[in-house]
Amino acid sequence: MPLCPPLSRAAFASLAMALLPLSGCSTSQLVARGASPLIDHGVAAMNRETDLELARASIPANLKMIEALLLADPGNEAYRVQAAMGFYGYALGFVEPDDRARAAALYQRARDHGLVALDRAGVTQAMLDGDAAALTQTLAKLDARAVPALFWTASAWGKWIELQLDDPARLAELPRVEALMQRVLALDETYYHGGGHVFFGVYYGGRAPMFGGDFARAARHFDRAAALGQNRLLWVEVYRARYLLRQLGDRAAFHATLKRVLDAPDSVDPDLNLANALARKQAAALLAQEEDLF
Amino acid sequence: MRRNLLKALFACALWGTAVAYAADAYVLKFATLAPAGSTWMKAFDAWGKELATRSQGRLTVKFYPGGISGDEPDMLKKIRFGQLQGAALSGHGIGEIFPPARILETPFLFRDHAEIDAVRAKIQPAIDAGFRNNRYELVAWMEVGNIHFFSTKPLASMDELARRRIWQWQGDRFIDAFFSANGWSPVALPITEVYTGLSTGLVDTVVSTPLASIALQWAGKTPYMSTQPVATGIGAVVVSDRFYAGLPPDLQALLKSTGGPLSQRLIADTRRDDLKSLAVLAQRAQPMAGLQKVDLAEQAARSRKTVSTLEARNYLSPELNRQVDAALAAHRSGSK
Repeated sequence: MPLCPPLSRAAFASLAMALLPLSGCSTSQLVARGASPLIDHGVAAMNRETDLELARASIPANLKMIEALLLADPGNEAYRVQAAMGFYGYALGFVEPDDRARAAALYQRARDHGLVALDRAGVTQAMLDGDAAALTQTLAKLDARAVPALFWTASAWGKWIELQLDDPARLAELPRVEALMQRVLALDETYYHGGGHVFFGVYYGGRAPMFGGDFARAARHFDRAAALGQNRLLWVEVYRARYLLRQLGDRAAFHATLKRVLDAPDSVDPDLNLANALARKQAAALLAQEEDLF
Repeated sequence: MRRNLLKALFACALWGTAVAYAADAYVLKFATLAPAGSTWMKAFDAWGKELATRSQGRLTVKFYPGGISGDEPDMLKKIRFGQLQGAALSGHGIGEIFPPARILETPFLFRDHAEIDAVRAKIQPAIDAGFRNNRYELVAWMEVGNIHFFSTKPLASMDELARRRIWQWQGDRFIDAFFSANGWSPVALPITEVYTGLSTGLVDTVVSTPLASIALQWAGKTPYMSTQPVATGIGAVVVSDRFYAGLPPDLQALLKSTGGPLSQRLIADTRRDDLKSLAVLAQRAQPMAGLQKVDLAEQAARSRKTVSTLEARNYLSPELNRQVDAALAAHRSGSK
């Protein structure tokens, strides 16, 4: 039974060549993969959005579209990574400030999408649950192609843990998240505007030294992220204030840093429009809590 | 002219109201090592909300979680200087205020939580008085969890502990005395250096609660643990006597009335987290064989010798210890 309408022999031959790597794919998988450019453009358009309300209203539909495509093509790593990134970003920007329980569920969903992508890259759940040294060896075999899956999985997983610090099972998972993000730094420290460094800025800056915090190390990571991103991603400074400066009890620096975020000119990078609008919103919320935090 | 006078009088009246309100509003700055979002902070947050609601905003708590105010000695220093008015403390901090209360975390003294609850109920008035005499008001008693041994190596017998490099929290006289009585050679380190110490071999064994072992990431370095708890770590929610004395009687009563329920919740939550943490650790850790069948009678006798030593050093109180012994004997004989 033909998959497509009748084609000329030459056209069929070229199509067959093109689809060769996809041999074994179902029609719905082919259709799903054909939507890839549209999804990529959709993500880019969302990143450029400046109207937060428009973004809040439209992101869920886009996320469900990606999940619909994943129903047709469950092993699609690119869509898994986009789902992980999308659910993580939506939870961070629009859900966590008002509903931490719902945000935790969305971070978990983001992480689960990321885990499928990691599994496809050779990092199985059993490896993540198993011996830490063996996991590090497995991660060492990954190359730069695995960075997006590693980064968004670790980001979502870290937030999922952060919102459940009352669950020992989550706390026990933290070293695995650290291992994933260490591999990101080793493979590409520039990924997502130095996002791996932001993670470790929070990791070492958001807790007391007796719990493994290291303020000097945290500051170095934030500085490196700021340098790699040429100070264009405002979240770097928001996180520096929220975690490191708060933990240090440095109210003056906390205030000045967040004021700089609010006063920063619009980004020269349109792909950061949405992220920076959300960072400003978070900065304003933190400044409103300043009296309670110090 | 008359209108201006009225305005001035009205403004004065408003100002007077504001001053009266400000004079009757109290902020309790309260520090804890528990991170925001942790089990304890959830309990503390609920407690703070209850105080604010029931006092109609006259008594509010401003929390400094996650060690923002430093470790326990730092917190106590800040309380002395008036920068803080209250804190949640473990046995380490309690030892700086009223060391005799640490009799409750004597190794192998109690067989289970029921014994601890029964004994503490009997000696609670003495503990309250001990804190009060040392310039603190004890608001709520709590526990930090059951304490176990965790090690990088297996342990065939308890005698092997004499050859282990066991971490001891620097400056903790209570633990030091117990380790010395057993002939163990502790390695005194600040808690911040234990993780690195386990990595380099400077220490190979630690005593900790299961939750702390997970949270501090020591568990990944210590695949062996004792299943029999050594003791149950104590904790306390305190405010300075200066702050407490400055509260009007109705707010003092309110603060004290919230202590009982807070204590019950903290203890129940901690015991639940202990079990959950043990379940997590059980998936990876192996038991330390040498501590599987501890001769409790022998260990208790050894602990009593240490207690005597600490009594002689005026760290523990003979009188309070007699009360503990009597209450424990009464509980075990079934007479309450």
